Amino acid sequence: MAAAALREQLNALLSSMFSQGLVDEQFQQLQMLQDEGGTPGFVAEVVTLFCDDAERIIAEIATLLEQPIVNFDKVDAYVHQLKGSSASVGAQKVKFTCMQFRQLCQEKSRDGCLMALAVVRNDFYDLRNKFQTMLQLEQQILAYDPKQQ
Amino acid sequence: MRPDERKGVVAARRDQFPVGMRVLAVDDDPVCLKVLETLLLRCQYHVSTTNQAAIALKMLRENRDMFDLVISDVHMPDMDGFKLLELVGLEMDLPVIMLSVNGETKTVMKGITHGACDYLLKPVRIEELRNIWQHVVRRKFSTRDRANLDIYEECNKPSNADSDHAHGHVTCGSPDQSGRPSKKRKEYYSEEEDEGEEDNTQETDDPSAPKKPRVVWSVELHRKFVAAVNQLGIDKAVPKRILELMNVEKLTRENVASHLQKYRLYLKRLSAVASQQVSIVAALGGRDPFLHMGAFEGLQGYQAFTSSTSLSSFTPHGLINSPRNNPAAFGTQRVSASKSIQTVTGGHALNHSICDANKYHLSSPGNQQGNLGQGMATSLGQTQMQPKWIQEETDDLSTIFSGNGLANSGMSATLQGVTSSPLLPQELVECTQVKVGSQPSVLTPSVSSGHLEGTVGVSSSLLDPRVSQQTTIPLSEFSASGLPIHGLFNNSCATKLGATSSASTPVHPSDDLLVARDTKAGASSFGSTMLLPPDTEQKYLNFGGGNSFKHKFDERTADSLFDLKFVWSSGLSSQSASNIGAHHSISQRWNNSSSNNSNIGARMIGQPSSSASTVAPHAKSDFLISGDMLVPKNASDLSVPKLQSELSSSSCSFDGLLNSIIKVEKDDVSFSDDLGCSDFYSLGACI
Repeated sequence: MAAAALREQLNALLSSMFSQGLVDEQFQQLQMLQDEGGTPGFVAEVVTLFCDDAERIIAEIATLLEQPIVNFDKVDAYVHQLKGSSASVGAQKVKFTCMQFRQLCQEKSRDGCLMALAVVRNDFYDLRNKFQTMLQLEQQILAYDPKQQ
Repeated sequence: MRPDERKGVVAARRDQFPVGMRVLAVDDDPVCLKVLETLLLRCQYHVSTTNQAAIALKMLRENRDMFDLVISDVHMPDMDGFKLLELVGLEMDLPVIMLSVNGETKTVMKGITHGACDYLLKPVRIEELRNIWQHVVRRKFSTRDRANLDIYEECNKPSNADSDHAHGHVTCGSPDQSGRPSKKRKEYYSEEEDEGEEDNTQETDDPSAPKKPRVVWSVELHRKFVAAVNQLGIDKAVPKRILELMNVEKLTRENVASHLQKYRLYLKRLSAVASQQVSIVAALGGRDPFLHMGAFEGLQGYQAFTSSTSLSSFTPHGLINSPRNNPAAFGTQRVSASKSIQTVTGGHALNHSICDANKYHLSSPGNQQGNLGQGMATSLGQTQMQPKWIQEETDDLSTIFSGNGLANSGMSATLQGVTSSPLLPQELVECTQVKVGSQPSVLTPSVSSGHLEGTVGVSSSLLDPRVSQQTTIPLSEFSASGLPIHGLFNNSCATKLGATSSASTPVHPSDDLLVARDTKAGASSFGSTMLLPPDTEQKYLNFGGGNSFKHKFDERTADSLFDLKFVWSSGLSSQSASNIGAHHSISQRWNNSSSNNSNIGARMIGQPSSSASTVAPHAKSDFLISGDMLVPKNASDLSVPKLQSELSSSSCSFDGLLNSIIKVEKDDVSFSDDLGCSDFYSLGACI
């Protein structure tokens, strides 16, 4: 069935995400919450929230780093926030990258931060793509079988 | 079972506590908030969320009974999580759990010390959330116990004035203070009860029972407090009302009460100073005519001085404030004086006002300044010096200075500085004779900078002790004594000087100075001139510095010093003697000794007796504004400085003063020349 195929695809995607360290247990928890708690769409909601929020934060950081004089404290605060978000959603890789980013913030190095930002951005985009694929698959699966989630 | 009790209070869902426990979640991160909410719901809690701490507080305050537990993120843009934690703990006494990605030990420690009952790391796991209800239960338990105790204590406390009144007197402290009137407690307690009912009905309010965390009166909190007090009127401000107006939840009446008490004391002190200043200013105002004299300027300084002194009176130096200003005013030519005053005032906020006045005055005499100019020059120098002093808080000096100041007008600057800082006097001495007076002891020496230096320089140091001692503006004494130093001082000065404390006419010095000023402003040396007589100056310095001077000085000293200065100058120049009174004698002497007007300062002193009366008349009268001080001040002023120094040390080492005066006189000659004004002032400037 198309749904089964889709589901397979989805599972494969998820396990690859896990194995690559893109997501961690927390994400699993969220999934469990959704499954067990009967709160459909929960993961989708959270993931969407995360993507939007992270996008915003990254843009802010980029702006801050472009200033002639960089306010590293502010940058650090944003990175911290991003770290919290990614931790909550289970975006492990992004979270680790954020930790490194914070280190560079402490060093107050603009170049270092710019590099870290690039890495974060990459990781985030990567994850976001995967999330979007995942969501799409889920939706498609739903379309096939609404009860299944 | 506690939950059962709660049941009574809360909704039925409480029955299955922890099911249905009401949690408020606060986190600026939408992702986290969402996840948290879901997790909490999964635990079967009742959840409310907000991403702003302010809203959270609002929700909590609106109805304390609405929530059992608060979970808050540490890093939030609108308010620090710890702050929220404190507020919630204080106001509502709710358990708060902190949440953060940051799990560093020190951060966790901070959370605990701020009162968090738990600290969770993100990402939060549901297992951890399942147990958070224990914090609620625990708190209820302890609260209940505390409440019971509190009630007991309150009941037993002797009932005292009603809380409102009592609050003012009672220092807040832990509710357990025995001193507290029971009434207050009771009221407070009952207040609490009403408010803090949320969890326990019968329990005494949780918040009230337990010891409240110490309240930190932050700037904003204090601002609110002051606004509330002003709104109510300081007389009618009672803690209860203030508390209501402030509308800060965590604050207790006791907190407000104790703070109010402190505030009242503070205001008293301020008003005392202010009144002094006012008087000084008034005095100076009177002098305006004198101002013309140029010597006036000195007066003006006084005014400023006085005011400042009054202000400063608070300070041990008392004089300091005003004197400083004054000297500036005085010594420096009007303009300079004003400047100096300003500078002085700068030091003293109060002075500012005075300065303005001074400046004003000074400027008026402006013309006269011409004469004084010279002298003023010194004063200018003083001004310069003053700034230095002023900065140094030549409060003391100023006082001294004021007394002396006049003599040193230039010195005054120094004096001022001197007053405030013993160092200054030295500087003064160095700079110009002027210094002499200012510093309680130091100043005078400074005066001698020109001439005084020899004598004065030292005095500064001497002065200090004396000055300080004299709270009553030794200057005045000085002035009186200052003058006498010449021998004339004896008159009033002697007393003054010797007794720096003899505040009798601390003002005198100023008067004299002023007088001197008036008379001749020309005797630029006037400003400091008086003091110049190096010896005298020193003494005077003490004089000025002598605390005694300070006090008196505040009002008068400023004037008197100024006067003295004037006196001196005037004495010198014209024998303005009207002298300030006793001082005149000194000024006279000065005059004699130093034919120069420059010496005026000193001269004046010599003059004082004679001139003082003459000179002083204008000035004096004005000077006298301060009252006693000015009177012979002119002469005395000058002498005073020295006297001060001497006086301060020896209650009436009048002889000493005289000696110093004499010495000064001798030096006068040379000094006068130097002092002429620029010297002195320059000295001041040196500072």
